[in-house]
Amino acid sequence: MNKLKSAILQALAVAVIGSIVACIFNSVSVNGIDPFRKIYDVPVNDGAAAGGDDAIRIVTIEEMQDAWARRCIIIDARTEREYIEGHIPGAVLFDYYELGRYIQEVLPSISTDQELVIYCAGPDCDDSELLARELYLLGYRNLSVFKGGYEAWIDAGLPLETSGDEAL
Amino acid sequence: MSITDHIFISELPGERRSWIFNPWMLLVFRLALAAVFIYAGLQKIGKPLAFADEIEMYKVLGYGPLLYCVAIVLPWIELLCGISLVTGVFLRGSALILLIVNAVFIVVIAFRTVNVMAEEGIGFLEVYFDCGCGFGATYAWKKLIEDLIFLALSCILLVAHAYRFIVIRRRRRIA
Repeated sequence: MNKLKSAILQALAVAVIGSIVACIFNSVSVNGIDPFRKIYDVPVNDGAAAGGDDAIRIVTIEEMQDAWARRCIIIDARTEREYIEGHIPGAVLFDYYELGRYIQEVLPSISTDQELVIYCAGPDCDDSELLARELYLLGYRNLSVFKGGYEAWIDAGLPLETSGDEAL
Repeated sequence: MSITDHIFISELPGERRSWIFNPWMLLVFRLALAAVFIYAGLQKIGKPLAFADEIEMYKVLGYGPLLYCVAIVLPWIELLCGISLVTGVFLRGSALILLIVNAVFIVVIAFRTVNVMAEEGIGFLEVYFDCGCGFGATYAWKKLIEDLIFLALSCILLVAHAYRFIVIRRRRRIA
């Protein structure tokens, strides 16, 4: 019984210390997140439910082409490697998994009322919508998500770019 | 003697012990597990959104505070358990944590494998995905075998009588 008690107490100690260290690191890390932010409360117009005038819009390939032609700010939510291999011309890299870093590098030059269209790899990828929700929580209210993603853009035979990061 | 006295290996005078509980073998097991979990923890620390995405794929936790808390905390616990295995500090507790963690991993990976088999109409040996453990995509059957080995090593370390090569040792011999 001594060894079992010892194991349980030690496990609790490791878990508590690990949790404290994790919280401290998360609060100071550039990619740290607030686990209690209401990302699931962000309104999204996905056809099934209308979320209001400033809700995130889910757009079709035609609407995406129109936005691209109007030179809206297109955001690529994939990784840097995927972006370098090929992206929609003029798109700005904003790796969703390095949210904090790209918030610091990209957002200062984008005002909250500018129209942003976000895409990621394809219809099975949630990163574009998740990034849109994060941007909504940061005050951006003119957001669209192209769910078809880079896959649909390529399938439509539309042009692509294979250069490095695009500057705004 | 209680049930736990039977589970935890005791060192009675003259008792023959399996080679598995040889102090050098225990050290090898400790270092092997430590290498795996230190690497796995370091791969995921500082990347909570990516890890949260990986966990969500198992459809056990949806996007929300609990998922993000697990994504923030679990890599650090893996790292601390790995450090504990190397130093010997809180070793038995870390073995208990890793036993539980690996048991959970095996269950959720098995469920996800069955779901992928049903959705894609492929056989068990063909299922291939990134489990989110920090080692990239691999065949599910390989991952399950690995996790079973880690589970076994955690169990051995948990029930061992005592360990040598401890950085900080208490006055009593029981670690």
